Amino acid sequence: MTFDRVAVVEDALDGLLTGLTPAARLEPDAPLRPGSTLTAREAVELFEDQVTSRQLDVAARRLKKTNRSFHTIGGAGHENNAALGAQLRITDPAFLHYRSGGFMMARARQLPGSTPAFDALLGIVASREDPIAQGRHKVWGSRPLWVPPQTSTIASHLPKAVGMAFSLARARRLGLGDELPPDAIVMCSFGDATVNHATALAAFNTARYGARIGLPMPILFVCEDNQTGISVPTPEGWLAETFSTQSHLHYRDASGELDEVWDAMAEAIRLVRSAREPVFLHLDVVRLWGHAGSDAEHVYRSLDEIAATESHDPLLRNARRLVETGAATPDQLRALVADVRDRIQAAAEEATLRPRLTTTAEVTATLAPYHPKQVATRAAKPVLKADVRRATFGGTLPEEATKPNSRTLAGLINSALCDELARRPELIVFGEDVARKGGVYNVTHDLQQRFGAGRVFDTLLDETSILGIAQGAAHAGLLPIPEIQYLAYLHNALDQIRGEAATLQFFSSGQFRNPMVVRVPGLAYQKGFGGHFHNDNSIGALRDIPGLVIAVPARGDDAARMLRGAVAMAREDGLVVIFLEPIALYHERDLHTDGDAGWLADYPPPPGHLLPGEVGVYGADAADLLMVSYANGLRLSLQAQANLAQEHGIGARVLDLRWLAPLPHEAVRAHAADCGRVLIVDECRATGGGVADALIADLAERSFVGRLASVRAVDSFVPLGTASSAVLVGLDQVVAAAVRTARSKARVKPSRRRAAATPGNRS
Amino acid sequence: MTDDRPRALLVFPGRGAYTAASLGSLPTGHPFVQRAEALRAELGLDSLLALDAADEFEASVHLRPANASPLIWLISLLDAERAMADHRVVAVIGNSLGWYTALTVGDALDFDDAFQLVQGIALLQEEAAADGSGGQVIYPRSGADWQPAPELAAAIDAALIDGGEVFPSVDLGGYLVLAGTDAGIGRLLETLPPVQIGERLFPLRLAFHGPYHTPLVAGVSTEAQARYSTLGWRAPVVTLIDGRGARFTPWATNPVELAWYTLGEQIITPYRFATGARVALREYAPDVLVLTGPGNTLGGVAGQLVVAEGYHGLRTRADFESAQAGDSPLVLSMHGRPRSAFRRSPSQWAPRTRR
Repeated sequence: MTFDRVAVVEDALDGLLTGLTPAARLEPDAPLRPGSTLTAREAVELFEDQVTSRQLDVAARRLKKTNRSFHTIGGAGHENNAALGAQLRITDPAFLHYRSGGFMMARARQLPGSTPAFDALLGIVASREDPIAQGRHKVWGSRPLWVPPQTSTIASHLPKAVGMAFSLARARRLGLGDELPPDAIVMCSFGDATVNHATALAAFNTARYGARIGLPMPILFVCEDNQTGISVPTPEGWLAETFSTQSHLHYRDASGELDEVWDAMAEAIRLVRSAREPVFLHLDVVRLWGHAGSDAEHVYRSLDEIAATESHDPLLRNARRLVETGAATPDQLRALVADVRDRIQAAAEEATLRPRLTTTAEVTATLAPYHPKQVATRAAKPVLKADVRRATFGGTLPEEATKPNSRTLAGLINSALCDELARRPELIVFGEDVARKGGVYNVTHDLQQRFGAGRVFDTLLDETSILGIAQGAAHAGLLPIPEIQYLAYLHNALDQIRGEAATLQFFSSGQFRNPMVVRVPGLAYQKGFGGHFHNDNSIGALRDIPGLVIAVPARGDDAARMLRGAVAMAREDGLVVIFLEPIALYHERDLHTDGDAGWLADYPPPPGHLLPGEVGVYGADAADLLMVSYANGLRLSLQAQANLAQEHGIGARVLDLRWLAPLPHEAVRAHAADCGRVLIVDECRATGGGVADALIADLAERSFVGRLASVRAVDSFVPLGTASSAVLVGLDQVVAAAVRTARSKARVKPSRRRAAATPGNRS
Repeated sequence: MTDDRPRALLVFPGRGAYTAASLGSLPTGHPFVQRAEALRAELGLDSLLALDAADEFEASVHLRPANASPLIWLISLLDAERAMADHRVVAVIGNSLGWYTALTVGDALDFDDAFQLVQGIALLQEEAAADGSGGQVIYPRSGADWQPAPELAAAIDAALIDGGEVFPSVDLGGYLVLAGTDAGIGRLLETLPPVQIGERLFPLRLAFHGPYHTPLVAGVSTEAQARYSTLGWRAPVVTLIDGRGARFTPWATNPVELAWYTLGEQIITPYRFATGARVALREYAPDVLVLTGPGNTLGGVAGQLVVAEGYHGLRTRADFESAQAGDSPLVLSMHGRPRSAFRRSPSQWAPRTRR
């Protein structure tokens, strides 16, 4: 049995319009009721936008039957959101959930020449001509209408909406973000079930927290309450109970007749715009036709319940209101409905003729575009005047502290951040404890004193919100460098990178970007201190995200140059870069023996920089064995290198990957071919998606014929105290594996190539 | 009851449509023609029938705005009347002068008011032209293959940036009409690289055209607002898509806004015909584009717009021409079809029942 309520709902509207009697005509400019700000003409326009949205849903379902559409989650029953689309400005950024057809139809009216219905149809049929996602997803989005596309399945777009509200005034104060007027506000919408999501609650909390400490937080939260989360009903009154009593969050209801809904929205918008405070707008809607086309609603709701919901169809109520007030005649509305049905049906057929993405190159073109030449140019500029730079550093430039005053990894990252902040006014640094305290490990020491609280600031203790602020700030024109205090803390917020930041260029065809460099102290080897949550060595979750760049410096001079490369990649290509800093090396001074100062480095002054693919090579003349590593593993490998030479007569070359995504496969292949034996020293968990598997697989698939081996950390959480050494890669283990690998009989000894021909820039 | 007639977009041409080949277009006895003749006589202007029946085409007579505008408007109306018998009109667009025709066909103004507007604006344009204040130049942005030609677009951009007293005037998609003072036009003719497309050489100055759709004709707008704001403006009976791509629908049109746009913004800002056509194609997806009026000035333009949009899968000039040669061409020109089939009186003009 097919269960299709589309025809039932469509017929109900026709039936109503046939039965209604015209009232005395209301002038187009007259309010729908005395005192309302909704005029008769605006109300009819809204109704047209609502019918258009409804017909898009009808078309999606009709085309689905012949496998010509790929998205049937619709806005049927939610069409009163059109009244927000009409009243918010196209310079009020809107982060929308997936039932926003009415909103988009109405908003597009503000920009003549828009073709919102056809654009939506192109999305539904996944055509590459879809102006926002080019067929990569059906999203509501538009660059000219300031609607960044959201997939918005789990409230994951709320933190960045809050982040943007937080950032508008900040960007303006820094002389950026002129694209939006000073009284712009941010809007985001979501469903009633979504408010229970941790991510949503984090966003509400952050907005309130900001308001509580006196920051402008001009955000309109719009909860479109259809009383259902797929099949689970929301308890009656839950939203009002939860959100009407919270401090620093104004709560408003929008329900009733169209003009009442309109006026409630007008008041809410005015409040956000003038008070710059968060408002929670509870919009009463219904959900027609199930969650999506594939959702068999009759399995969990009785026919009576379904019919009762349908009787609350906002199109029925609004049509009745328009006729009763005299804003339109039944004839006019019949003609309107017929016209919209006719043209959307025809436009849907036209949309199905439009081409789709076909090749891998087309699909991935906007995933994470990378233009090394332009990035290098971007890294080289701007150059600060010498006296300005000297003043920034308080009189002494960091590069003047050369041996024996060379500095640590933490110190050099601090100097590099200082240089970047000085030469890039759009850059901001924030996170937990980064400002007043200067970071748990002093990496951001003194930055707030030098650059002010507008650019370097402490946040509340929530990683989801930190990454939300980063995304929102980037939307507002800033270049954020957020800090996640420990790698282990990133995991609770990872979806902000995985589902949001990393996807933005992909789903917007590069029209929206959220460039950022996320600094994450992490990895193990803290001499038994801190336990797992300060020694986390799991990077698989990051390596798994398409397009994400992962930088892992080991030495201070590398870190400074890599940070400049990372910032330039973000700035030029809008990339999201994770800058993973090995905590154990922050303050390390020595390499081989106590007091040898072998891990200190001089500061490489700007604009020197490093980009993906540029590996570090130590001992380029040695070729008995190639050791491939990064971070703490690099230091172990260099210690092993010395030991192998002295104790075993083995000449080992050491390669520092520096970038774990994208991996520098080309350099590894070349050096591997040169040495014929390869040992990978991977300090991350053996099966945790570290780099060892990827490197070995690449060499094997490229017909590397020498010996391949690896040492890796145990699949375990990192315990406290000396027990940590039981699960981490140790020096003895590295040396033993190196000896084994170097002495094993390789099947074929490849011909030795000249070291000079291999990539790398350090010997 | 279903209406199986093809869903049509009606397209009305601008002021360049009446040419020597157009002589003899007007059917003498048609009530529209009769009424227009009477209205012309009231104003002491030459008979349109006489002009149309002239043995020879005289540019200085036939291309005068005061003559060309009402001739084109009237012939377009006659075409629209016949087209509507065979088609279901889903939307109406016009180019420049064609916007006034669209208003008439959409019944946003009645016949007499529309005549007043068309005739009056034409006379105001002549008055403004008497000051010797410039004109229009047309230049291509696509090649003979109808694909975008970036070097031509770049030449236009350069001319606009360097020009001074030069403005974009009408966006036809494959062509851009630029307008300016006499000095500005002179500079355009000198600096735009010559291009030959088909038999025509560009840049091409449009004879008897003023610097329409630019601030240079702000005076026309001011005077038009003073004279014509009080005409019987009303909501159209069919959706009109204007020179911004905005829609005026039968159910949600504020007549005051329609008048403001027509007499203000429309006169002094660029007329983006291509944008309006794009909105019509995408949001209304017509089965056929019906080109009305004398001549076939918009034939190539319409083809280029269709190809630019990839409409109906037509992505090249060859695609389009092959489709046109088939059984059901996408673009239908009323040009050359006899114009006497219908005889509706001006007072019964409305294509649908009045509200």
